[in-house]
Amino acid sequence: MTQSGEPVIGVANLCKCYGDVKAVDGVSFQVARGEVFGMLGPNGAGKTTTIEILEGLREPDSGSVTVFGMDVTRHAPSIKQRIGVQLQTVSLYPRLTVTELLDLFGSFYAHHLPTKQLVDAVDLGERAKARSMNLSGGQQQRLSIALALVNDPELIFLDEPTTGLDPQARRSLWDLVKGLQAQGKSILMTTHYMEEAAELCDRVAIMDHGHILEMGTVPELIGRRFKERAVFFDTSLKLPSAQLGKLEGVTRAAQEDGQTVLYSRDVAGTIGALLALTDSLGVEPKNLGIRQATLEDVFLDLTGRALRD
Amino acid sequence: MNTLLRLTVANIRSLVRDRAALFWTFFFPVMFVFLFGWIFGGNSDTKVAIGFVDQDNGSQVSVALQKAFSQVTLLTIQTGSLDAEEAAMQHGDISAIVVVPSGTGAAVAAKSATSIQLYTDPSQSQTSQVVEQIADQIVGASNLQIAGGTAVVGIQPMTLASTNISTVAYLVPSILAMALMQLGVFAAIPLVQQREKGILKRIGATPLARWKLVGSNVLMRLMVAIVDAVVILGIGLIFFNVQIVGNLLAAAGLVLLGAGAFLAIGFALASFLKTEEQATGVVQVVQMPMMFLSGIFFSFDFLPGFLQTVARFMPLTYLADALRQVMVNGTQVAPLGVDVAILTGWLVVCLGIAARSFRWE
Repeated sequence: MTQSGEPVIGVANLCKCYGDVKAVDGVSFQVARGEVFGMLGPNGAGKTTTIEILEGLREPDSGSVTVFGMDVTRHAPSIKQRIGVQLQTVSLYPRLTVTELLDLFGSFYAHHLPTKQLVDAVDLGERAKARSMNLSGGQQQRLSIALALVNDPELIFLDEPTTGLDPQARRSLWDLVKGLQAQGKSILMTTHYMEEAAELCDRVAIMDHGHILEMGTVPELIGRRFKERAVFFDTSLKLPSAQLGKLEGVTRAAQEDGQTVLYSRDVAGTIGALLALTDSLGVEPKNLGIRQATLEDVFLDLTGRALRD
Repeated sequence: MNTLLRLTVANIRSLVRDRAALFWTFFFPVMFVFLFGWIFGGNSDTKVAIGFVDQDNGSQVSVALQKAFSQVTLLTIQTGSLDAEEAAMQHGDISAIVVVPSGTGAAVAAKSATSIQLYTDPSQSQTSQVVEQIADQIVGASNLQIAGGTAVVGIQPMTLASTNISTVAYLVPSILAMALMQLGVFAAIPLVQQREKGILKRIGATPLARWKLVGSNVLMRLMVAIVDAVVILGIGLIFFNVQIVGNLLAAAGLVLLGAGAFLAIGFALASFLKTEEQATGVVQVVQMPMMFLSGIFFSFDFLPGFLQTVARFMPLTYLADALRQVMVNGTQVAPLGVDVAILTGWLVVCLGIAARSFRWE
């Protein structure tokens, strides 16, 4: 995605404290029109606070925050007419039906889409007369997205849209988000899931402790940290780590999740050298494999811990 | 349709579809009306005592009327001055007063129209109706004798509140007050729930003005208050013959003021409560003592002194008192103006607290 035209979101040096805790500490980024921008990070990283400031739900302590080029602290009402918001909360008025909720939310806006169209857009046609409390987790999440689309927004905020969903429901939600992107909507989303960010987002920002640690497209982020690919095998094979580090092409050897991982610039050379070494010792490496570094590796490398810890 | 109305409809739908909420708002008070109506509703007095006041100095007409009344087996008659009989009725010794004004005999002799006065207490509807029917028959018979059926003597109905309103007549407005109190105080629970679940925050992300969200809630509760009042008073009237004697507009105004004051208390409570469990517990701690100490099920006077003092701090005491005064002429705990002032005070103070302290998330 090229960053042309005026950005729909502009955040510069944003800070927000709760008491002594700096929830957001000097965050800056921009989101271009039509872009899907992802914010990744563990709980407490500051993603939700950042999003809620952009939605006009919280006041920033300092820094400048603009949406559609307008200052959110001064133009919240007119910004709210043009954005769609999906919060981590799912159930709204549990005893109202899907149709009733969409009608009600539509009435909050100056301009809104027909309820039938929204129900179809999120594939809830068969459940249109069901009370929201009786929907499955995936259906509730789709309803919550339909509610975010009620005013045909230009910019949509999705806060962990797939948390708690089974893989199938997650897939169907991804399709929904891709459909929105194809319609030219701009989307700012947060997620815990690396593969979700890799699948959906044009660019991602990795956040921790209120800072953005790294920002860019997924291949950029991986390429920036990992020139190597990883050769891995079961650690049950006892090999002297000093020797592993000196094998051809290896820049670093590590123990991760019961596996020995060799980061290598020359995969063929490394595997040849590894097999020669195990041959000479009279053993054989089990579950030997090669993989690209992933966003998960980037996160681990940046923060020293796995994302969902 | 207007957003405020749509939100109100959404609130009403949510209430109507919530069985537990329906129980507390409608069936709980109705249950109490029936329960206590049946316990206290039986009328044990077989004889009705009335006073007879002869201001016509023993004219033929007044002697004849007095004789006619005393021949009715259902009645026991005492005679005296109007002042004495009024005092007796106010004290609850007699249920009605018949007054033959001076000049009645002369008017009857001249065959010109005149009337006797009948004092009854409309809140004692059963007794009053009996006395009115008897008086109608006696006067009708006299007209037949005197003038061959031409209505020379009429009955001028008068009302006088008696002290001893029936137990059911006492209970009906009191239970209505209790229902309004619960309606308002219980409003804290869904509010805290909506905040806890983030519903208030989600709505905050739309352009909807917050006052509409609060306003729709208030509107819904006030509508329910009116429905509650109609249902409870209707049951009192249909099943237990409790007549509303006061001004209906004043009664409706009090219902709305009472509901408003307790809603404000509910909102103020919601400002300080964080979780639904907390809210459920605290609301019970607030409403239970009021329900039992504010003179709902038995008169305030039966409470020991220190509990009376406690009850004097409870807003429900004043709402129940005001409703009884306006609806069934009940004896007062405080003058009506004081009741209204105290309720208005609670409304204003609690609304102020809620406006200052309420958190949307």
